[in-house]
Amino acid sequence: MVSRSASSNFLKLEFVLGALLVGVIGLAVIFSGVIFPGGAEKIDLMSRLVPPFTKPAHVLGTDPLGRDVLARVMAGGKISLLVGFVSVAGGVVFGTVMGLVAGYYRGIWDMLVMRFADIQLALPFILLAITFIAIVGGGLANTIILLIVSQWVQYARLVRGSVLTLREREFILSARAIGVKDWRIIVQHLLPNLIGPVIVLMTLNVATNILLESSLTFLGLGIDPTIPSWGGMLAEGRTYLQTAWWVSVFPGLAILLTVLGLNLLGDWLRDSLDPTGRTSA
Amino acid sequence: MIKMQRGLRTAFVAMALAGTVFAPVSALAAGKLTVSSPQDPGSWDPIDTFLVNWASVSTNIFDGLTYRGPDLKLVPGLATSWEVLDNGMRIRFKLREGVKFHNGEAFDAEAVKFTFDRLLGPEGAKGPQQSNYNSIGSVEIIDANTVEFKMKVADPVILTKLAGYGGMIVPPKYIAEKGDAYFNAHPVGTGAFKFVSYEPKVNIVLAANPDYFGGAPKISDLEYKFISEPATAVAELQAGRVDIVIPPTIPIGMIPTIQGNAKLAVVTSPGPTVYALRFNTRDGITKDPKVRQALIMGVDRDAIIKSILGGQAQPIASFQGPLSFGFDKAMKPLPYDPAKAQALLKEAGVAPGTALQIDLRGNEATFIEVAQAISAYLQTIGITATIKPYETNVLLNDIIPNGKTGAMFQQSWGGWTLDYDNTAVAMYKTKEKWNPYDSDPKMDDLLAKQRTITNVAEREKVLQEIAHYAADRALEMPLYNLNAIFGINKRVKNFTPVPDSRLKFTDVTVD
Repeated sequence: MVSRSASSNFLKLEFVLGALLVGVIGLAVIFSGVIFPGGAEKIDLMSRLVPPFTKPAHVLGTDPLGRDVLARVMAGGKISLLVGFVSVAGGVVFGTVMGLVAGYYRGIWDMLVMRFADIQLALPFILLAITFIAIVGGGLANTIILLIVSQWVQYARLVRGSVLTLREREFILSARAIGVKDWRIIVQHLLPNLIGPVIVLMTLNVATNILLESSLTFLGLGIDPTIPSWGGMLAEGRTYLQTAWWVSVFPGLAILLTVLGLNLLGDWLRDSLDPTGRTSA
Repeated sequence: MIKMQRGLRTAFVAMALAGTVFAPVSALAAGKLTVSSPQDPGSWDPIDTFLVNWASVSTNIFDGLTYRGPDLKLVPGLATSWEVLDNGMRIRFKLREGVKFHNGEAFDAEAVKFTFDRLLGPEGAKGPQQSNYNSIGSVEIIDANTVEFKMKVADPVILTKLAGYGGMIVPPKYIAEKGDAYFNAHPVGTGAFKFVSYEPKVNIVLAANPDYFGGAPKISDLEYKFISEPATAVAELQAGRVDIVIPPTIPIGMIPTIQGNAKLAVVTSPGPTVYALRFNTRDGITKDPKVRQALIMGVDRDAIIKSILGGQAQPIASFQGPLSFGFDKAMKPLPYDPAKAQALLKEAGVAPGTALQIDLRGNEATFIEVAQAISAYLQTIGITATIKPYETNVLLNDIIPNGKTGAMFQQSWGGWTLDYDNTAVAMYKTKEKWNPYDSDPKMDDLLAKQRTITNVAEREKVLQEIAHYAADRALEMPLYNLNAIFGINKRVKNFTPVPDSRLKFTDVTVD
């Protein structure tokens, strides 16, 4: 057993590092338009593949079309972070509702939702992605929907598990005994008690989804190549890896640092919400 | 112990000597060549395919009556001579004598007749090759070594087509005995290399045919590995596990990587492949020829060739390269003139900021860069272009044929006949699969007319007229004619790059 003071120090370090990484990257992405107005799209065929740290105008060099890599990495984060956060938010809302319904009402609802979840979990993600995109087409909105469709199951199962243990607890039984309405029990008593693990899973999934968006774009299933995104930049830089490493290394680094920051925050959140190390569901 | 070793060694030497006595020919040919090809055609039957990468393997297995070598001149193949009679309505071929298929079956008039009966019959109707040969009425056997082609209509390109995919002569008895499905995976021809083994999506292995009528190959073994990912193919080349990477694999961006390695070299030759962005001439702003001209003039194609393509391409004025029959040297592309482009757009009433969509194949790294540069150029003349990548098969078999493209869409074309007829008919003739938008009676007349002309010079004139007419109507934005790019290991000697990817490895040697 680690002593309490040592572990809280460690927690602090995780939080500081995580918040710093996510904060700096978030700010850079949000203000990329102000720092480099139009810089991410400006093509200059005369200065292609400028190496990094050689020209003050292009600190991180330029890509095969002469676009500034730093400006593109900063602007590219918009798509990646947007996809990451929006898809997780969608997945959480849908999955939590499904989990609550299944866990609280049991019976036919539970059977339907959970069997459907089982079926979906049996399908590999790439197969699901290729089928989905073949039917509805690529693009930003569809990529987000695909990620929501593929991930709500995780939240639904997590929430249902928590509800199953909570619904037999005394405070829920007494609430029911005095005639509190179902929706009030769910919103006021169940939700606050199970949201901890959900938040933790959220922080981890934001990171996963940024990587998934990257790999979808990398496979050519994602987004218009003129819109910069970290995954798209990685894919573009692939052919130049041996002669112009900076085209793909910097967006890769951005993904790495964001994912690292989010994972640190997720760890911190898990530990601070759950100091006893109790595992849920 | 030492004694035993010596004994063993003697035995081996004796065996080796015996080997040379029994198989003197194979001892002359030595060395194995490994080639990386980007695509497995799936079937080796000549009538089943239209893929360039089928031909880059099968040119070594099969022969046609005629043969077109690296210089693109037509020379005798399995026919030693021919006579064109009745204004092209009959062609009489004298066949090469003493040639045998790899299975020992004799090549004769019977085999030629069988090949074309099969190609033009129900079996051929299942594949894409038949339509290239529909001008042939029937093949008659005159004697064991003479055949006569009776044409339905005179076909000026037929001798070239006989060197092409569907004209490859196949063994009648072998196919009758083993069946078509077996033949698809176990091809037998008369060519310089014999089939050894084939593992779908992995490789096909061939061995030298010492009895080849054109002379035995100088290497003993030939393997093609199917590697579709350019980075993997180049890594294999760097590691020495592959000797030659054939087009279309190596993206322009990887040329410096190969050039940077002292053991490797990049060899390029002018190729047949041309690139264009075609217009939706039926709907939207690109319905107006003025707008189409403006869009062409708004893009600096020379700058794109010099920078993104590293000079490995030539600008084109019509949808064909200099190797194509029907190419007009005097024809110049529309100049890059953004001011004029803007004026034309204004005249046509196109508001600044108007959006259009460019559809392209999502897996061609180089062209995606080109398209982004084009989009940036269009931005400067007030057109906002978005790019929509599709999976290649979806684009070719659904989006284009069903007229679901944006205002502009990618077309790459590498007609193996190197005759503008093949390209122009597919692009401009009313109701052709890849021409969903345009229907022009004058164009249709010109296309039909040139097919009936057997006089070479006259036909060339009509083809040039078609090219000019298409350019006047600005039916597409002609971009460039891309070189064929080969990456080779310097241990390979005597390698001649060919423009049409139909490599024959008879003279190549390896150190």
